[in-house]
Amino acid sequence: MSDADREWVDTVRQRLIALGQTSAGERVLIAASALALSVFVGTIIVFVAGLVATCRDPVLTMGGTTLCYDPFFVFDRLFLGALGDPLAGGWSPLNPQFALTLRETTVLVFTGLSVALAFRAGIFNIGTQGQLVVGGLLSALTVLWAAPLLSGGLGAVLLVPLGVTAGAVGGGAYGAIPGALKAYAEANEVITTIMLNFVAVLVTRYLVTGPFGDPNSQANQTPPLPEVGQFPSVVFDPRTDFSLFALLLAFVFVGGLYYLLAYTAFGYDLRTAGIQPTAAEYGGVDAARTIVASLTLSGAIGGVGGAVYVMMILGKFQTGVPSYGFDGITVSILAGNNPLGVVFAAALFGVLKSGSTVVAFATNVPPQLVGVLRGLIILFVAMPEFFRLVGRRLAAGQEETGAAAVGGGADD
Amino acid sequence: MTDLLDGRPSGRLLVAGVAALVFVALGVAALVAPESQVGRLFGIVVSASTLAATLRLSVPIVFAAIGGIFAEKSGVINIGLEGLLIISAFTAVFGADLTGSLWLGYLVAVVASTALAGLFAVVCIEFRADQIIAGLAVWLIALGLAPFGSQVIYGGPNTKSVDTLGTVTVPVLSDVPFFGALFDASPAVYLMFLAVAVGWYTLNRTTFGRWVRAAGENPKALDTAGVDVSRVRYAAVLLSGTFSGMGGASLAFSIGQFTGNGPTMVNGKGFIAIVAYLFGNYNPVGALLSTALFAGLDAVQLRLQTTDLYALPDSLVQTIPFVAVIVVLAFVGKTRLPEAAGEHYESGEE
Repeated sequence: MSDADREWVDTVRQRLIALGQTSAGERVLIAASALALSVFVGTIIVFVAGLVATCRDPVLTMGGTTLCYDPFFVFDRLFLGALGDPLAGGWSPLNPQFALTLRETTVLVFTGLSVALAFRAGIFNIGTQGQLVVGGLLSALTVLWAAPLLSGGLGAVLLVPLGVTAGAVGGGAYGAIPGALKAYAEANEVITTIMLNFVAVLVTRYLVTGPFGDPNSQANQTPPLPEVGQFPSVVFDPRTDFSLFALLLAFVFVGGLYYLLAYTAFGYDLRTAGIQPTAAEYGGVDAARTIVASLTLSGAIGGVGGAVYVMMILGKFQTGVPSYGFDGITVSILAGNNPLGVVFAAALFGVLKSGSTVVAFATNVPPQLVGVLRGLIILFVAMPEFFRLVGRRLAAGQEETGAAAVGGGADD
Repeated sequence: MTDLLDGRPSGRLLVAGVAALVFVALGVAALVAPESQVGRLFGIVVSASTLAATLRLSVPIVFAAIGGIFAEKSGVINIGLEGLLIISAFTAVFGADLTGSLWLGYLVAVVASTALAGLFAVVCIEFRADQIIAGLAVWLIALGLAPFGSQVIYGGPNTKSVDTLGTVTVPVLSDVPFFGALFDASPAVYLMFLAVAVGWYTLNRTTFGRWVRAAGENPKALDTAGVDVSRVRYAAVLLSGTFSGMGGASLAFSIGQFTGNGPTMVNGKGFIAIVAYLFGNYNPVGALLSTALFAGLDAVQLRLQTTDLYALPDSLVQTIPFVAVIVVLAFVGKTRLPEAAGEHYESGEE
């Protein structure tokens, strides 16, 4: 390495450090503001939807118009409902709704980490959904195949790790495809990963309706996994389909990824490639290899998410996998692509997903509301300039309504 | 045609050449053995009903692709075309249901899609958002909002049914074998051809088109010439919403309903549109031709599902268009983006 090269690398390192330090606080602030703004816009949407919808018992009637949904009640249910009403008496953290929140959070940590890792390498992995689907199916098939071979205690100890590994292998291999296409054919990964999501859904549908389908069921699914091939529930009621072991595994992945990114040579190469690809290559980073490795690893994490979904929640593989992968994009962006931030963003999104079922039950507001919030959050986090502008106006003490007007313009 | 091959000739030529070779090989095999499987496959490929289906399937993709060309040529990569198609497909049906008129529904869809594109433009141009992330947000917002709206208004992810656009049949010409399908088609198909012509003319032969290209290639020069770069970009992005709106409305009115389960009825067409215009080298005519390739494959796979020609399962046959997109993208490789695409432009005067 020549002196000039070292200088380059040093510059990049300084930029990295600067990026990490100066903007951490600001990023948290922007994420929080984006979230608040999303909830605000969501409230307006619920209000408008309440005016449009027809219902038997409106919450408000004014003249000829009726309001079917109470936006405040909706968001009360969304957040407090997801936790199992902590403000009411006799609250226990073991309540089934809170277990559902933790369950969703667990899968979302994996998909969030998957997207975040790729983002750090400067790669948009929109394919976590497909990688999760492939990993989930491979893990189910592996457990079904291995279960008869491993009897008694051996099965209880080995089946779950085996399934998790299979998920990682499936997701990793499926992530390697767009990685290789990007590295060696310069095919844009945003498009290839989205196309591969469609392919994953269709191919797995074929596999579970045809060769690996459950002969005893009409649904497109594999036969059910044996009890020993699923994450055991501890403390929580087994009926909640939540296992603390899976959440623990998620935390292990968070720690592992944090360490990988911050303290290893590979993590350094990966981040450098993400921030300054030409400088990275100049500094001796093999760009093509880093791209393939990042997407493979990203896919593997998504695949483990699929394994957890199959072995903790469903107990089999079934078509129509919920869009954890797309939620993972929001989780990662909200977390500033930081592994530790992913925990909080995933918990928040777990609340939204779990809360949406409470909302649908209590108010008739469609659970697709969360889908809308998912997009809004990404949009608002993507425009930090807006919040800086508002922040500057507030700081300058200009009590102009200008900022509010700008906000209104961006909301519609 | 030369325009189509400008970018990196090798990849484009290769794909076009292979497609042509496969077609010729099929034809020769069909001549030698008309009753063989290959012969019957060729019969399906060159049937008028396959051409009709290809045209029908092309409509939303071509509209979105033309819109995408305008946005990207001006320097704003609009990866949210899928979202624009979704929102317009839903609002088209809602508007038609509300007003009782398909063409008013069409208008509602165009307005809704243009408004969403406007939001995207503000976020990208005013607040300097990362264009890719903002585009993904547009897609995800529409993916949530349309089924949400359908659930609120119609009580399910699928809307009620409205009329379809029907077909306009040109007498005599529609009786021509094979090409007759061109003259016995939905008004949306004719609109699509018109949009290609208008899009090409606007981009290549008008002052506005020159501004759009300059805003993407050399915004500083445009600024120096006294043209507001931001305004040109706003106009181009709004246009991408208008074209996509026509595409989404045409899609919904081809069956007279919006279906919102999973990826909705749009099902990746907006993303395929992006590949179509990349493969078509940002030329509306090129985009039309490459869309015809993807939509043609889709039409053939739809026909294959209804015949017993091959015992391939439907799910696998349905992957053909998606795999084709990936293969094309891999062969075309890196396309030459407009110089300033994806970058925010700051006028020196501020």
